[in-house]
Amino acid sequence: MPTNLVINGEDRISTRGSMTPLIDVLRDEFFLTGAKVACREGICGACTVHLDGRPVVSCLVPLATVEGRDVRTVESLAAAGEPSPLQQIMEEHDVVQCGMCFPGILMVLTSFFQERPHAERDDIKAALVGNICRCTGYERLVDAAAALARRS
Amino acid sequence: MATADPSSVVMNLPRRDARDKLLGRTRYTVDRMSPRMLHAAVLRSEVASARIIRIDTTRARRMPGVRAIALAEDAPGMHGIGIADHPLFASGVIRFHGEQIAAVAADTYEQAQAAARAIEVELEPLPPVLTMADALAPGAPLVHPDWKSYEVLFEGAARGGNVAWEATVIRGDTDVAFARDDVVIVESCFRVGRQNHVSLEARAVVATYEDGRYHIETSTQVPWTVRNMTAKLLGVPASQVHVTVPPVGGAFGQKFDCTLEPYAAILARKSGQPVRLVYSRQEEMLTCLCRENADIKIRSAVTKEGEIVGREAVVLMDCGAYGGEQIFLTTMTAHTLGGNYKLGSIKLATRAIYTNTAPNGAFRACNGVYNTFALECHTDEICDAIGMDPLEFKRRNVLGDGDLGATGQVFEGDVLGPMLDRMERLRETSPSKKHLAGDRLYGRATVVGTWFVFVGPSTATINLNADGSATLITAGVELGQGTMVQALPQIVAHELGIHPDDVIVRNADTDAAGFDLGVGGGRTTVSVGAASVAAAADVRNRILTTASELLQTRPDRLVLRNGRVEIAGIEGSGTTIAKVVQRAHQVTGPVVGSGSFTNPGVPAMPGCAAGHFIDAIDIPVFNVHDCEVAVDAETGHVEVLSYKVVQDVGRALNPRAIHGQIQGGVTQGLGYALHEEHTIGEDGCIRQDSLETYRVPLALDTVPVEIDLYEGAPSIGPLGAKGAGEVPIMNPPAAVACAVARATGCRVQQTPLTPPRVLALLLGREPAVELPHIVDNWWDNVLIKPKAQ
Repeated sequence: MPTNLVINGEDRISTRGSMTPLIDVLRDEFFLTGAKVACREGICGACTVHLDGRPVVSCLVPLATVEGRDVRTVESLAAAGEPSPLQQIMEEHDVVQCGMCFPGILMVLTSFFQERPHAERDDIKAALVGNICRCTGYERLVDAAAALARRS
Repeated sequence: MATADPSSVVMNLPRRDARDKLLGRTRYTVDRMSPRMLHAAVLRSEVASARIIRIDTTRARRMPGVRAIALAEDAPGMHGIGIADHPLFASGVIRFHGEQIAAVAADTYEQAQAAARAIEVELEPLPPVLTMADALAPGAPLVHPDWKSYEVLFEGAARGGNVAWEATVIRGDTDVAFARDDVVIVESCFRVGRQNHVSLEARAVVATYEDGRYHIETSTQVPWTVRNMTAKLLGVPASQVHVTVPPVGGAFGQKFDCTLEPYAAILARKSGQPVRLVYSRQEEMLTCLCRENADIKIRSAVTKEGEIVGREAVVLMDCGAYGGEQIFLTTMTAHTLGGNYKLGSIKLATRAIYTNTAPNGAFRACNGVYNTFALECHTDEICDAIGMDPLEFKRRNVLGDGDLGATGQVFEGDVLGPMLDRMERLRETSPSKKHLAGDRLYGRATVVGTWFVFVGPSTATINLNADGSATLITAGVELGQGTMVQALPQIVAHELGIHPDDVIVRNADTDAAGFDLGVGGGRTTVSVGAASVAAAADVRNRILTTASELLQTRPDRLVLRNGRVEIAGIEGSGTTIAKVVQRAHQVTGPVVGSGSFTNPGVPAMPGCAAGHFIDAIDIPVFNVHDCEVAVDAETGHVEVLSYKVVQDVGRALNPRAIHGQIQGGVTQGLGYALHEEHTIGEDGCIRQDSLETYRVPLALDTVPVEIDLYEGAPSIGPLGAKGAGEVPIMNPPAAVACAVARATGCRVQQTPLTPPRVLALLLGREPAVELPHIVDNWWDNVLIKPKAQ
């Protein structure tokens, strides 16, 4: 049975099976490859998207549970192609390396900053505990996020 | 846009690929899809050792969606480094749990998996050897009974039985040194486990077969190795294999070999359709070509004044079922365990040992990481034995200008000594974090390390375009390290007097770029950079010749700057480079330059080293790391309180990018030091098959690394640069282990220092590592025989 959902503000109909993980629907059916499949166990956080505004690991979300719900992916962060302040500060601070973890990290921090725009550095670190980054050693991207928090 | 001054090669040029990576638009290999694309799955062995009696694919071929099945008969060749011991599919026998038996391409991944499971395999179990001690025991089953018949790709090493490769160093007479009556003899044993790369992008490939050629789009560090190895395995001319490389989502050495590409290539030819093969995280955890586990014994004869008059060591590296990178890496003991310090005499043996376990491979700084751990722990044990402060001991003994390395190489310049001084200043300016330890045990250590830049052949071509931009064509790959998006554009822009944003860097393509050894070993900035400098010099000569005629000025009075050809000393004079190129189109043709580079070959002392791929290191890279730890005596938990790095970078072309490499490399090293651990079960299968059981560092595990870049050490690299990305991982296990040993008063012989292990040390319940399979008489550990006197 087809599933109706809203992806990045557009009405979509998925024809995949009800147990298909949301990440596969996004990537394979709608070609939104920003969110990454890296562990399929909900541990690395690279597949994080927003479901009704809350960050979820989309590898553990079966399609059947998102009927009628609102899904936002990393592709939605740059409204009209203009990077969000978070994306801009990560670029300015030159903290990206291989880049595979950033879609998930950006989705987690975007949601986190909505609730805690002036968060302290230690709280930002704690917020990232569900995102594995193998390249950067975290500290410099946390510095960038903290700089944004100070600026806002 | 960068506001870089093109006249200066040193700048914090931002990454040009960051924007799309942040927008989620970058298309890695795992993101590549095409119409009609098939999905592949691999059937793997679930036993460690067996004879294959029968493989029947009849039922699998009838399964829904199945388009092609690949088996051992499709890949007649063998590959390897040093010895061609590795078939693509298990052929006749199974040698490890997880070994590839067949590969299936189907319309969906689930169909491919189902069909792979439906292949019937009849096996006759054989007794496996799972540890190096078992492999070296008298009468042990041979992992490769036919080892003598294998093609030898690199001559000169002793081999035999389960010893895949033996590299030895003998300089001076250690027997005399150990017999002296004025020395203290210190002996230490160490054991380390495997480390998994956990690249977030798993190994991945999309292959097609068109017009009689294979096109392999793959997540690799070594496009030319993939080209040549795929051809060798498939038994086709290498010219029939074309490799291109999209942005790579992390590699760390894991992708420094040809691995899954040939499966997809065979399936693409058989099906006539594009084939995608991406390993699952579980496959990556179980078969990822880890940093190998190793057993190490070191003995040193040291005078009361701290002179090391003799050192003997045996390092056993578990290569798993096939030799792979470990064969080459036996070389690196001489330059790591045998490095750092002046040695009166030395005997080193490094042996790659076959076991019925998953093959290991390269991982950032490779055996240098655990050899440094062993050497620095041993050094502290020496200092305890002779009653000398470890820093004082290091100052007296680190290699300086004119000193001999293990293989008799003469080192140039005083580097480690001044770096120790710089670390002392860093320690003075940045206060100790000891107060954060509270009532926990506190320890601190400063350690040194030596690694190298793996130079060797690279090529570059530069087309200077009529708009004044330059297109750089190399086989270099962007893994995340930044070389392709920062160092290379900076170098070429500097040489041609243009802005780095005007340097287009082509992604690796073996049909466009010439041979390259690959991206790894800290070599890209150095080797591809040096080839790029040579290509730029070629381009510059052509430009100056044309401009000389155009401006009626001798070429030696012309300079390239700000996108212009100017008369020296007269700013704004002359004309634009674009106009000169346009002129060249009319008179000599478009402007193109090429350059190539290889290692110059620093000499070692003749006769010192046997079985080594390189006897001396062309570009040594030195590290000094300092670490403070707090150890919870009740739980065994180790917290890193502070971490400091003084790193020899030659010349820092992009200091900010190097800081990023150091923070990331140190963090990976701390993971290996403290909690990343693979163990192997009785069935020969790695026990940690997911990120739940294999613990990589998370955001709350890290500390900000305080960094001082040491510039000015001699380097043959372009503009004095050295590779900076590989070495930061070298010293953290050494620094943490020495600090924990001091905090606890316990002898540290193993990593990782997980809470249970540290607690067992504190409670006196951690069994000592004794290594009975490495015997006291060094000669009884090796295949080579003493030369007759």
